[in-house]
Amino acid sequence: MVGLVIILVLIVVALLAPWLVPYDPAAITGDAFERPSSTHLLGTNDAGSDIFSRLLWGTRTTLIVGSIATALVLVIGIALGLTAGLRGGFIDSFVMRLVDVFLALPVLPLLIFIAALAGPSLTVSILMIGLFAWPQTARIVRNQTLSLRTRGFVDIARGFGAGPVHVMRRHLIPALGPVIAANLVFVAGLAITIEAGLSFIGLGDPAAVSWGADLNRALSDPQIYIGPLWLWWLLPPGLALTVTVLGLTFIGVALEPRFNPRWNRSERSRSVAPPATAIPAPDAAGR
Amino acid sequence: MTTVEEALPVGDARNGDKSDPLVGAIPRRRGQWLTLGAYLATIFVLITVNFALPRMMPGDPIDALMAFGSPNYVTDDETRANLAAYYDLDDPVPEQYVGYLTSLAQGDLGVSIVSNVPVHKELGGRVGWSFLLIVTAILISILIGIPTGIHSGWKRGRGLDRGLLTFFLSVQNLPIFFVGSVVLVVFSAKLGIFPLGGATTPFNEYSGIQEVLDIGRHLALPALLMGLEFATYEYLVMRSSMVAELGSDYLMGGRAKGLRERRLKYRYAGRNALLPVVTVIGLQFSLAVTGIIFIEQIFSFPGVGGYMFEAVATRDYPAMQGAFLVLTITVVTSNFLVDVLNRRLDPRTVA
Repeated sequence: MVGLVIILVLIVVALLAPWLVPYDPAAITGDAFERPSSTHLLGTNDAGSDIFSRLLWGTRTTLIVGSIATALVLVIGIALGLTAGLRGGFIDSFVMRLVDVFLALPVLPLLIFIAALAGPSLTVSILMIGLFAWPQTARIVRNQTLSLRTRGFVDIARGFGAGPVHVMRRHLIPALGPVIAANLVFVAGLAITIEAGLSFIGLGDPAAVSWGADLNRALSDPQIYIGPLWLWWLLPPGLALTVTVLGLTFIGVALEPRFNPRWNRSERSRSVAPPATAIPAPDAAGR
Repeated sequence: MTTVEEALPVGDARNGDKSDPLVGAIPRRRGQWLTLGAYLATIFVLITVNFALPRMMPGDPIDALMAFGSPNYVTDDETRANLAAYYDLDDPVPEQYVGYLTSLAQGDLGVSIVSNVPVHKELGGRVGWSFLLIVTAILISILIGIPTGIHSGWKRGRGLDRGLLTFFLSVQNLPIFFVGSVVLVVFSAKLGIFPLGGATTPFNEYSGIQEVLDIGRHLALPALLMGLEFATYEYLVMRSSMVAELGSDYLMGGRAKGLRERRLKYRYAGRNALLPVVTVIGLQFSLAVTGIIFIEQIFSFPGVGGYMFEAVATRDYPAMQGAFLVLTITVVTSNFLVDVLNRRLDPRTVA
């Protein structure tokens, strides 16, 4: 619940940002390093731009990256996962091999490499995040599809002459909904963190107002170590980032289907798998 | 199914052939050969990507070599032609590829544009520091993550578990570069407890124990942060694995025998639940590579991650490629080794 509130606030702020910001976040509206005051709620940064405005405007970048990258992962992951699960056989093993290879690659160095070569831009970041985040979703979708197949309705529908697309649309996707939703929330958090991380290294879109980029600027300035400057320059963007990701995590934890390990003592089962989304494997990049 | 005898876990009787230390390392079955093949294939893919990517980018390869806007950018046509000849860029691509592979086999990773020093020399010094950082971080993470995980799993839902779970889940979601920055400012700059960065105090004349202490002081914060990050995963896996153990028969048998709870908890259940965590620890290298790029940048630690960051900042492509190769091959190799280790430790996972 808390998570939902956080994310809703984020979306509202992002959408209303043009009316909410006191100043243009990219413009120089004051002296550099001004302290928080009634004119600049969080002071100004090294260029003289209002920090509070940048904080609010940053929600837009976060939202854009989060939603588009997640949508990309949704499309690719579901398409591949469903196909692999339904068709089985060679296609299934091929897709799974692909997933294994992708999961084995360390994502962040690759992203850095590509971003440095292709030139930093928001499109490149979003595309790449989408390209590297789909394997986990695809695998989850495929596993769920396989288990759903064992319940008769797929065969019954096919027996009535339904084509595979129809089966996917009307039967499988609704059934897969909860699992996908939980996973996607996690993916969104990952995408946002990766984008912030890339901006922090300096490979984010220079034109976009991003919290990660602000953190980078703050830390690069030697004055950050002196005085209370860090309180209103370093902390707010980072806290905003943290709160956003935390909100998404809370939603994810609440949505997650419960694969309860058997706690009952009489149960001998030892081969219980931990919940698919609760323990992201350490190969998740950007953390 | 577990019988009471084989469930009492004193001594690992599950492991079959303990006399041969190479059991599991050398592929015995087709499935294992396939894994080795997949590993080599991935390495090969990475090497090729390393070669192909700069050439696939829009623009002249010389552009890719020396980015527009960097001080090394060449605009004079004749110089460009000379450069192209020097780097063999006017050879057909397959020939370039062969040349690339040959130099790679000899350990030649190119020359850094910024410093004009061969990349493998620069990397050589850095790898040691990164290794030190990662190993220390892993040790710290084991100390933090495993006991808490055991305790949490044992007490799932009650008492300390709830607090610990919330704590570790929250920490897991904190962006590491943010936490690192704040910690650096607060503990190093403001409170002055730890140094501001680097691995050693510059120009120091320490030796022996003083040197070790000095390195330790510099290592403390970065290793602690990375260790905490690792610990969250280990904690979660340990906890979940403990919970799965809780239904086992031997616990009931142990209690009937009159063993104390504490002994059951650590010596029996904890030990058995350890296996997935060992795998996770092995996989930390993958996570480490990501964390190291941020942490080394923030704390100016002279490791491979920091090297990659500097190379990116100055668009020093040969250096970037070298660092990229080292990082990615390390990750893939460690994943592969974890796979092999898994086979050895738990024959049930053999394909």
